Amino acid sequence: MNKNFLEILSINGKASIQDLGRLSAQHLGFSVSGAADEYAFRYANKLITDYQKTITGSMVQHQKNCAVLEVTLGQISLRANVDCIIAITGADCQVQLSNASMNKTPIANWQCYQLTRGDIIDFSMPKNGLHSYIAVQGGFSCQENKQAFLASFAQTENEMLLGLMGEKLTVGSQLFFADELLAAESNNTERSLTSAESLKTNSTPKNTNKPELFYANQELTLRFIANKLFLQLSAEKQQQFLSTRYTVSPDSNRMGYRLLPKNYTTEILPECLRAASNLSKPVTFGTIQLPANNQPIVLMKERQTMGGYPVLGTVIQTDLFRLSQMRPGQEIKFSEISYQQAQQQLKAFYQKF
Amino acid sequence: MKTSIAFDIEVVSENALLLSWQQTISAVQHSDIIALQTQLNAQLTELIIESVASYHCLMIYYDFLKINTDELITKIHDIASTNSPEKDKLSGDIHSATPLTEQPCISIPVYYDTEQEWDLRAVAQQCGISIEEVIKLHSSSVYRSYALGFTPGFCYLASLPKALTLPRKSTPRTKVPKGAVAIAEQQTAVYPNESPGGWHIIGQTPLAMYRTHNGEFTPAITVGKNVQFYAISKAQFLAMKQSEKL
Repeated sequence: MNKNFLEILSINGKASIQDLGRLSAQHLGFSVSGAADEYAFRYANKLITDYQKTITGSMVQHQKNCAVLEVTLGQISLRANVDCIIAITGADCQVQLSNASMNKTPIANWQCYQLTRGDIIDFSMPKNGLHSYIAVQGGFSCQENKQAFLASFAQTENEMLLGLMGEKLTVGSQLFFADELLAAESNNTERSLTSAESLKTNSTPKNTNKPELFYANQELTLRFIANKLFLQLSAEKQQQFLSTRYTVSPDSNRMGYRLLPKNYTTEILPECLRAASNLSKPVTFGTIQLPANNQPIVLMKERQTMGGYPVLGTVIQTDLFRLSQMRPGQEIKFSEISYQQAQQQLKAFYQKF
Repeated sequence: MKTSIAFDIEVVSENALLLSWQQTISAVQHSDIIALQTQLNAQLTELIIESVASYHCLMIYYDFLKINTDELITKIHDIASTNSPEKDKLSGDIHSATPLTEQPCISIPVYYDTEQEWDLRAVAQQCGISIEEVIKLHSSSVYRSYALGFTPGFCYLASLPKALTLPRKSTPRTKVPKGAVAIAEQQTAVYPNESPGGWHIIGQTPLAMYRTHNGEFTPAITVGKNVQFYAISKAQFLAMKQSEKL
């Protein structure tokens, strides 16, 4: 029986296992799903990879894009059942580490830590942002037998009924991770770094000092690739869309962000163009839908594969990772970008990891 | 020489292209779409991550780090305009002697909602016809499967007889039962699992809409097939449901 797990002691918000999702199962009707904030997701795995490099002197390939725990609005407590290496990124939950003697130590965000069997980590509700990520050496699976479903461990809320994505996480849930890696390591190397403090100095990625700089401070500008429909709008209507400020609606979630125009706006889409875009068609990550109520929806990771609303274009992926950390009430505006520039942005983003 | 039906290619995101045909529900056009999808998947395997077909569109997800987008667009147009023997075989619907409607058919048993737990009576009233007529119209048509989407294994079927055309429910249900058979606009479908649903439920099928074996997912209805519904009694429905569980 696999003893390698973190156990959920308490949970007040949402948590699920996520990775890059099911990229090749959309044609079957599966939502891609996966980590909402890929920047924090990739960063967490990289912290562990970098730590492995300092210990073993070589890159361990499989720690790339391993499944992590995505926690929304903190408020979770986990206990390590074995010694393990974890990394915490994303929204700052002012995490506290309690060891067996119940000594509490605050641990910094965007860092890698070694937990000892029995250690408890407590996440408070973050003051800013939404999603926090916990990566573990070896990566999480969502059930004990470690089988991915359609090449991913991602847990999609609306698809849990299939019974193939593990149990919905709750108090008592055991988050298993690989055991082979830990065994191999203890045989090969001397583990000299044991305290949280010493790991901290060795694991900060060399080329990124302030990971929080990735995110928007106040208002977020969503750069989007305009589509044919948007370009068919009059210059006036295009300008109206681009100069409107929107706020994030409380009805936003992992499926999509609803945006509310701050001031009264007239219809952006003339009726003839609206009527001409009725038939359901495939949508993608970042698709901007415009229902008749003029409240744009930006589709996120847990979107469905088809949509029947008119589409104005697609937000670029790096801005979607930023958007995923925005809270209701925060402000958004749109600006156009070419697909070539969007590709450059994404390529540069991947190169960071 | 057959030329493929004309389509547009749009660069929708960093890693996706949207191919669009005329916005209409047409079996002939759709055969062309899925034939092209098959060809692209076969010839561009290392580049294509996923492809999703719908009524009039085909979304291609590709590895943008491996190929320049303009090059890929050119390749797609080249493949589409090639009239190879393989293409003829794959788009058998168009070229073969067998007309579309005589292709093999997937049959779906339906216990129609005569006990009026769902929407059958309301549908009949709104369409201005009897319940028996609704059942007759729904079960006598041969539908084509156009797209899988909404939830895993949910397959969009069209086209309903015009007499059954109704807009979606103004207030969707938060929960429809597993196997619910429903209609909306020109479409009909089976909900593979309990889920929210905005279509009108006229019956239920005991048939599983997908199988999962060895971590694979196989829908009962795949895209490009003919589908027909047939009425069963409540007793048959319960018996079939029981044997599905075994």
